[in-house]
Amino acid sequence: MRSRDTRTAYLLLAPSLFGVAAFLVLPILVVVWLALQRWDLIGPRTFVGLDNVVAVAQDGRFARSLLVTAVFVAIVIPAQTVLGLGAALLLNRGLRGSAVFRVLYVLPWICAPLALGVVWRWILAPTDGALNALIGHRIEWLSDPVLALPSVAAVTVWTQVGYVALFFVAGLRAIPSTLLEAALLDGAGPWQTFRLITLPLLRPTLFFVLVTGVISTFQVFDSVYALTPKGGPQGVTDVVAGRIYYEAFESRAVGQAAVMAVVLFVLLVAITLVQQRWFSRRTTYDLST
Amino acid sequence: MRLRRLAAVAAALFVLAACSPAGPDDPPAADGVTTVSVRVWDDQVAAAYEKSFAEFSRQNPDIRVQVNTTSYADYFTGLTLDVASGTADDIYWLNALYFGALADGGKLIDIGKALPDEVGGWVPAAVQQYTRGGTLWGVPALTDGRIVVYYNKAMVEAAGVDPQNLTWNPTDPAADTFLPAAKKLTRDAAGRTADQPGFDPGTVTQYGFNAGRDLQAIYYNFIGENGGRFQAPDDTFAFTEPRSEQAFSYLVDLINTHHVAPPASATNTNYDFSRDQFLQGKMALFQSGTYNLKNIDDGATFAWGIAPLVAGPAGRVSVVNSVIAAGNADSPRRDAILLVLRWLGSEQGASFVGGEGAALPAVTAAQQGYSDYWAGRGVDTRYFGAAGGTDTIPAPSGPKFGAGSTAFEPIFNDVFAGRVPVAEGLRAAQDAGNAALR
Repeated sequence: MRSRDTRTAYLLLAPSLFGVAAFLVLPILVVVWLALQRWDLIGPRTFVGLDNVVAVAQDGRFARSLLVTAVFVAIVIPAQTVLGLGAALLLNRGLRGSAVFRVLYVLPWICAPLALGVVWRWILAPTDGALNALIGHRIEWLSDPVLALPSVAAVTVWTQVGYVALFFVAGLRAIPSTLLEAALLDGAGPWQTFRLITLPLLRPTLFFVLVTGVISTFQVFDSVYALTPKGGPQGVTDVVAGRIYYEAFESRAVGQAAVMAVVLFVLLVAITLVQQRWFSRRTTYDLST
Repeated sequence: MRLRRLAAVAAALFVLAACSPAGPDDPPAADGVTTVSVRVWDDQVAAAYEKSFAEFSRQNPDIRVQVNTTSYADYFTGLTLDVASGTADDIYWLNALYFGALADGGKLIDIGKALPDEVGGWVPAAVQQYTRGGTLWGVPALTDGRIVVYYNKAMVEAAGVDPQNLTWNPTDPAADTFLPAAKKLTRDAAGRTADQPGFDPGTVTQYGFNAGRDLQAIYYNFIGENGGRFQAPDDTFAFTEPRSEQAFSYLVDLINTHHVAPPASATNTNYDFSRDQFLQGKMALFQSGTYNLKNIDDGATFAWGIAPLVAGPAGRVSVVNSVIAAGNADSPRRDAILLVLRWLGSEQGASFVGGEGAALPAVTAAQQGYSDYWAGRGVDTRYFGAAGGTDTIPAPSGPKFGAGSTAFEPIFNDVFAGRVPVAEGLRAAQDAGNAALR
């Protein structure tokens, strides 16, 4: 009986397991295998052992792209989280037009990042760009090495705020009103209520938003590529996913690109584990009163 | 594109690479018609090809030709992936930057062997450019002719500039008539020209010239005209030598010191910026090739003309580039491919391209149609040929030129933007380019 149940369970899981194996496990294994090959996409593949690892370790551009990505994440994640939470608090007050704003906030997230990147490139163009025309000054938003990364980060934050806000709105609505009312009766002001009641109870949402946000921001490619192709001025927007792309499909060094992809994967797993451990000690999923 | 998508592409490559793309000949479709696909990057020529292939299919009813157009910006990335996965078109255009790797990788049909009787009818420079390892790897489809200077007639007349006889010189200002002319042709919002006191480079409304990081139209020619070189005979990069560096410095100064050309921030990533400025009546001199003739004829709403290249210390030296239509060696439709390629390389097949004025065919006998078309429209095309000079600088070469340019272009961006001193930037770019060749 038990073994028949097990068989049935595996049978029912089979389609999903196939998907996981074919589109998750296999690609990971292929990337690891490619990391041990020298291949230019056109000629034959050659097994080179750890040569690609050594080459990547000696290539300063990869280290630079890791640093650029870390700075990018450090700008984007706090900004999109704070702005997303702020937007969610406003939307949750049930003011007139909240439903319309909820849709408006999410629109940039729905749109294709590449298309948004192209539109923003027009807006931020130094010559004939909409923003410069508006402010009456010629500022090189995307080609000045100092401004390029913050500008790209700002566009990314703008794209993501609605998505983040959507989850915070759901999290806020899951907080029992009785807890907030009890705080009110106990004399807590709005700030105390937010800090001592709302924020701790939002931790499951915060955990989800931070984990998915950090992963997707570490992997950002499309919008950065559209805004500042080839790594931007002096490589200041040369994010890791872009470096992997340039290495694989422009320099045609597939093996080295695969090594970079593996490093990024390991890095993301490590960061996610740290986040998980931190939140697991501080988060409650039990909101019952 | 997220990493997962990159991984999926890698997985697809793996799966496809594991399969042998070459198989037995595909049977024709149920209606007995074999379809041959042709990939190009030029809309104007694609339209001419449609007409040419309609005639081809009338003469060869069992072969249909499908033209696929991909933008140049994405062309070679997509093509490389498709070749790797065995899904490339039967025939595809190649330029000098990428053909070497595909030829060396055995991905192209040996045209020298397959169509030896046709080779004599093709432009010799194109045949030479695409001959590698003793054989020709494609049918010369287009040749760009010499680079010229398109000019806005009203602007040059107003400034009293004769665009036919301009000379530039990086070391002798007395011999440089080009820079003073470019200054006269550059205006700010207040109408002051770049040679007048009070000229505001921050509000330029009319640029004199299109200096920028443009390999074919700009810096290759300036290097050649100063007696420099870009590559050594062994295909390694050699643009740090003094004469090449002088040419780069001159161009960078045109942009950042004299402000007679658009800032590099506008042109580094938007390859059509200068052309669009010219078409919008915001640029007086636009140095480019045959590949922009149709665009200018279609888009310019003002009187314009064509002058020969601005001459340098070594005279008028142009890069002359050609494009080949290469046959996919992995395709199972080899016989049909060769029939289509033979047609493209014939006078009749190529005449549609020239006769529509879309581009200059690399089939010698079909070139007259191009001249006739433009003469009929009152456009003098002689400067694309010998009247524009006869000296040339070798076109880009080598199987890894594309990888090299990927490495040096970002550094060139900084050089042209004035963020890095020219000598220092060129040294870094050359080192990066040569490292990518290894």
